Amino acid sequence: MTRPLKYAHAIREALSSELRRNDDVVVFGEDVGAFGGVWGVTRGMTKEFGDRVFDTPISEDLIVGMAIGMALRGMRPVAELQYADFVFCAGAEVFLNTATYRYAHGGLPEMPMVVRMACGGGGFGPEHSQSTEAYLMHTPGLRVCLPSTAHDAKGLTLAAIRSNDPVFVLEHKRLYGVADDVPEGDYVVELGRARVRRTGTHVTIVAWQDMLRRALVAADQLSDDGIEVEIVDPVSVSPLDVDTIVASVRKTGACVVVEEAPRTGGVGAEIGAVLMEHAFGYLDRPLRRLAIPDTPVPTAEHLVDALAPSTADIVATVRELMR
Amino acid sequence: MDDATRLEIFRQSLLSRRLEERVMSLAKSGEVPASLHMGAGQEVAQIAALAALRPHDPMLYGHRGVGYWIARGVAPEVILCDIAYKEGGTNQGKGGPMHLFDPARGVFGETGSLGGNFVIGVGLAFAEQYHRTGNVAVVFFGDGTANRGQFHEALNFAGLRKLPIVFFCENNGWGLSTPTAAASAVVDIARRAAGYDMPGVTVDGRDADAVYVATRVAADRARAGDGATLVEAKVDRLHAHYLGDREPYRTADEKTALWVNDPLARLATQLEAAGTDIGVIEAEVADRVERAVAFMRAQPLIATSTAREGVYADPGHAR
Repeated sequence: MTRPLKYAHAIREALSSELRRNDDVVVFGEDVGAFGGVWGVTRGMTKEFGDRVFDTPISEDLIVGMAIGMALRGMRPVAELQYADFVFCAGAEVFLNTATYRYAHGGLPEMPMVVRMACGGGGFGPEHSQSTEAYLMHTPGLRVCLPSTAHDAKGLTLAAIRSNDPVFVLEHKRLYGVADDVPEGDYVVELGRARVRRTGTHVTIVAWQDMLRRALVAADQLSDDGIEVEIVDPVSVSPLDVDTIVASVRKTGACVVVEEAPRTGGVGAEIGAVLMEHAFGYLDRPLRRLAIPDTPVPTAEHLVDALAPSTADIVATVRELMR
Repeated sequence: MDDATRLEIFRQSLLSRRLEERVMSLAKSGEVPASLHMGAGQEVAQIAALAALRPHDPMLYGHRGVGYWIARGVAPEVILCDIAYKEGGTNQGKGGPMHLFDPARGVFGETGSLGGNFVIGVGLAFAEQYHRTGNVAVVFFGDGTANRGQFHEALNFAGLRKLPIVFFCENNGWGLSTPTAAASAVVDIARRAAGYDMPGVTVDGRDADAVYVATRVAADRARAGDGATLVEAKVDRLHAHYLGDREPYRTADEKTALWVNDPLARLATQLEAAGTDIGVIEAEVADRVERAVAFMRAQPLIATSTAREGVYADPGHAR
């Protein structure tokens, strides 16, 4: 049985069911307790779970580092960083310690820990609007996923908690209030498996989260022009499902990557390199990247809209590419 | 502290000292990498602190020397193999001398950048409190590492939640070449405890009895549910920061003065006065070290084919 459920509620459902199923799961972060988190994801959860859902001080190194220690002692911590930008406040614990602890200690420790964080969007300023998946995917030892639907948000959250590796889940601010069909029962969405969100024959668009929504609208408009777009949602960028992306591009012969993050060294750059390695002879046209030009994210939403790829930008780029 | 405990602290400290000296000689001859940070002068405090804790209390150790592992019963062979990047150690050449891991002995590793120990240690303590094990986590660190930001985040939360943890500072007066007085607003790190609503105790780290008692009080307090303690042991770093550090920042006379107070020699004098034959223990330790060296020499280097292993626990990440 499925029913429409908002993305934020789907995450809450996953957290709650796993808290019921496994006593070693705890949920913590800034304001996630009685207040319910600034994104409302954990709203009401302390009523059922008491202090297994708890507030931390404004101490991001603590939030992530404590999760490492809990995991080393058999717990399955789910930490929240209020904004994906705050991964840099927790930089030592994320990029040094979470990433290398298992490897440095001979592959002996298991690190079943989840770090959830809110990414993307506009109106929050340069230090509260970033999408940090490219930094994270560059770092061996981390798994990184990007739910684009409520269905995947629930299934990826469950998969992340049950993984024996550190999993970073980037939740998009503009999706929290968006509903789609979510199964009532228990299911996981596989980490590292991309989804083809729309099939087409002329060009592949790789996009996720808010950019995926824009790409889907763009694809409808392009279809009216006779351009059939295939859309691949990577779902996870570490591991990146190279096979699915390459298979799509080998079929279509063209690729556009759309991302809500700076162009240089972005996910699109990695996908472009992967296509050179695995689909070079199949490409009929050059790769196109739509991204935020190399600026911070401004605060004013109309300035964000001027920088982030829009549906019109996607349509124009594909039309130009397919001319 | 009873006589048997004092004798055991001496035995373990002597083994640590001699094993480390052997590592230094092996490093000078090029047989093992010169990567160990020497712990001479600090091992008595490390080992006395661990003697005051229970064998399974989870520990994150500091980067100076081998004493922490000896105290927990890790075989010298294992320590040498990790240092020499050989099979028979714990970390398969991935972490070398700073990342020995043996959770059955409560040895939960160390962060290479050091400050992570504070917050990871809080996680260990949280888990002990959550599971009601009665265990007390212990985090060893130096006065230099105490200036990392994680110190504040960890001690604040440990104080807030009354977590069962002992923060054990080995204050040797130096952060590599920088004196503590030039790096910290207070030279007694324990004074900072007041800001975290926990006791802060400074003891003479050259005195095994004083360290043992202070750590025992801290551990008992934690086990009783009364929370964390910051214990500071004033110690001396008898060697350079690392092999090859020529120490232009301190004089030979200054170092000679430190050796006069060598806590290991002080323990030996105490035990000899009580009738212990130190020569017998020295001979046993020398034999133990040479057996470990022979074992390490016979072990193969970690195979290059394993360099990619150990990144992830779950499958599905190979490219």
